[in-house]
Amino acid sequence: MDKSVVFAVAGSGKTTRLVNGLDEVRRFLLVTYTQANHDNLRTKVIQRFGYLPPNIAIYTYFRFLHSFCYRPFLRSKKNTRGIIFSVPDRFPAYPLTDDRRYMSPGRWLYANRLAKFIMQSGLLEAVVARIEKYFDVFFVDEVQDFGGNDFNFLLAISAAQVNMSFVGDFHQHTFDTSRDGNVNANLHENFDAYKKKFERARLVVDTDSLKRSRRCSKSVCDFITEKIGIDIQAHDERTSVVRYEDDPAAVAALYRDPGTVKLFYKEHQKYECFSQNWGASKGMDCYEDVCVVLNPGNVKAWKTGSFRAINPETRNKLYVACSRARGNLTLVPELLLKGFKRF
Amino acid sequence: MQTIQRLVLKNFKRFKALELEFDPELNILVGGNEAGKSSVLQAIDIVLSASRSKVDGIGLEALFNADCIYEFLAGMRKITDLPELLIEVYFDDLPGRHDLDGRNNSKGTDYLGIKMVCKPVDEYTKEIQAILAEKHENFPFEYYGVHFLTFTDEAFFPFKKPLRHLLIDSSRINNEHATREYTRSMYAAHASAAQRNMHGFEYRKAKAKFKDDVFKTMNEGLDAYKFDVRTSPKASVETDIIITEDNIPVDSKGMGRQCFIKTEFALRNQEHALHVLLLEEPENHLSQVHMRKLIEHIRASIKKQLFVATHSSVIATRLNLRKVLILSEENPSRPASLMDLSTGTAEFFMKAPDNNVLELALCKKAILVEGDAEFILMEALYKISAPGCSMDADGVHVISVDGTSFKRYLELAKLLSIKVAVIRDNDKDYAANCVANYADYASASIQVFADSNNARHTFEVCIYQDNQAVCDELFAAGRKTLSVEEYMLKNKTDAAFQLLEKKGTALAAPGYIQRAVAWIRA
Repeated sequence: MDKSVVFAVAGSGKTTRLVNGLDEVRRFLLVTYTQANHDNLRTKVIQRFGYLPPNIAIYTYFRFLHSFCYRPFLRSKKNTRGIIFSVPDRFPAYPLTDDRRYMSPGRWLYANRLAKFIMQSGLLEAVVARIEKYFDVFFVDEVQDFGGNDFNFLLAISAAQVNMSFVGDFHQHTFDTSRDGNVNANLHENFDAYKKKFERARLVVDTDSLKRSRRCSKSVCDFITEKIGIDIQAHDERTSVVRYEDDPAAVAALYRDPGTVKLFYKEHQKYECFSQNWGASKGMDCYEDVCVVLNPGNVKAWKTGSFRAINPETRNKLYVACSRARGNLTLVPELLLKGFKRF
Repeated sequence: MQTIQRLVLKNFKRFKALELEFDPELNILVGGNEAGKSSVLQAIDIVLSASRSKVDGIGLEALFNADCIYEFLAGMRKITDLPELLIEVYFDDLPGRHDLDGRNNSKGTDYLGIKMVCKPVDEYTKEIQAILAEKHENFPFEYYGVHFLTFTDEAFFPFKKPLRHLLIDSSRINNEHATREYTRSMYAAHASAAQRNMHGFEYRKAKAKFKDDVFKTMNEGLDAYKFDVRTSPKASVETDIIITEDNIPVDSKGMGRQCFIKTEFALRNQEHALHVLLLEEPENHLSQVHMRKLIEHIRASIKKQLFVATHSSVIATRLNLRKVLILSEENPSRPASLMDLSTGTAEFFMKAPDNNVLELALCKKAILVEGDAEFILMEALYKISAPGCSMDADGVHVISVDGTSFKRYLELAKLLSIKVAVIRDNDKDYAANCVANYADYASASIQVFADSNNARHTFEVCIYQDNQAVCDELFAAGRKTLSVEEYMLKNKTDAAFQLLEKKGTALAAPGYIQRAVAWIRA
């Protein structure tokens, strides 16, 4: 059994590597964390084979968790209605053995506790057996987004006797859907400790294969390494323009340019232009030139010389946004776009 | 091969609960008229079709077990006690179908399967409560929901069917709807999805060409309004196809021929063909000759799981008695299987002359007699031995068995716990022929009765000796070379028939027959 976890940098070809590892014979289980990446992966698989081969099952993590790991075993017994992504109330704090801890009064399962519910119900062995029965290879993309109970669950099911490859980018950890109180609250604080957890679960940790970005130019990589403080190297010597732009006319022109995507910290839908949010742009590989919109706090950080000190989650999202650039990267202050915002 | 392993029913038609395990190749369902053979086929058909319109067409009232509804209405009428209807179909291993594999079934264990659940819709509990509070005898079927689910508890749709099946119901062979359904299923079984799409496309194209070419002149004479031919889903390849034999539409043939052709066609082994074939009383409308031919086709079919509901002993024995499942009228939840019948006995009945095996299998008490003479006189002798009683009223069947094959029938009776009295001749050695011979079978429910006097070696001798005056009166006239006793021995059935006709009530029953009657009635 080959079991490995590959840590990559943005644009180094994680998805390509996964898709190249597929064939039309072995039974593949592909799990992504986000819906966007699921769709992206599905498109790439169809591009590669010309159709979606029936031996390849692509799931988003929560669908996998609910329909493959939970529903076959417990749905009728627990009479639950589905999964919800709202966070359970802190009080009353039901004990681990109380079903009410895991579902709303209307019997909807809390997404962030579902993995725990499955483990608590003693179903790990059954889930592992089910994976072994129906699949030969288990791929996980965006492994860095697994947190809380979901991280423990992932490591537990990695005991399945099938070939396994997890890929992710530690610094692209942006989603907190998995968070449940103190469970693994500090998981992403320390990369070395994080890697150790996989090693202890007998996965080979590989930080070498995908350490160079094919997408980002040397200029963008140097900018990220220096200003955001996340190590990323370019695959070649290609250069492009990385700049901060605060000339209102130039910013307005960028805003209107349909060839440049505008990436906002949040609420991109309030701007009527080619746009996306930082976090949601993860996995996107279709942008050429990128314009990253900075809110006042981040503009301040820029002016003091570096983003290294900003909130770690925001910093990761900024890293995701900047690393979308295949060509030029421009940073602009949000203030200059205020006039375009719809309310 | 994809097969059905098990069927579980709850509150479905006459079954409050039923569980049947199936053979991967052949299952013969037998039972009385109300035993529920057709219901079993219908249950399988409903679940495999996963068609809500099929269920709506029948109506929940007709599908629900009447007793559970009655008991609910007569009881506390609590909303939590509302009965639910369940049909579960369990499959053998289906590679890759994890969408069917789960423990959301009545066993609570990992199996592959699909189910239909009818239960009250949670959102309507308030309305149901109000209805139940009124004390009238109407059950709130309208507030029930019908769900087709896999054992992973996800919704199941017809396009996800793990196997193709077809129900052929000979009693509805001329029914237009059933015919269309048959044609469509057979078409789907013989054309791949890609082929069917191509056919649909070409058919539409051909219609357009017809309009362009043939209607051209007519339409040119019109301006705004023109004629065209229908191309809606109600006039597609699937609605317009028929099946022909030698260019004659099968629908226009006689019912017997239709039954035969439809069954025979469905039995053929072809690519994309059917996995499961459900045959409802295939013997209907068929002559003996065609029935035998059909049996040969059924026996020759491979790669299909067959379910045959039948009343015919010929079909059951010729196909293989060991594959018979008996549904009982009195005890619907306790079906019996003949799986444990010995191969020798099953093969014996396959080859033996036509017989009444199913009559024995379906009864509670039987008297097995050795020949036609005993069979003819048995009813009369029964009444004489038990005055005022009759075999029909006592639920006792008489079955005539060739003397050498008693043990075959006894094996069956033993397996099904049927109370059987064997009445036979001692053939001049009572101890050997009538006692030692059946040592393995005699029990509380199986007894052999024969005259213990070796001199009284056959039924005719006993009848003659116990009714000498009557027999002499009937048969002495005109005897020249043979004695009356000899005449009776040489003309067994004829003599028996005359005795029944002329002296049926004036006979004395031989002692062993009286004992047999007393024992079987006890």
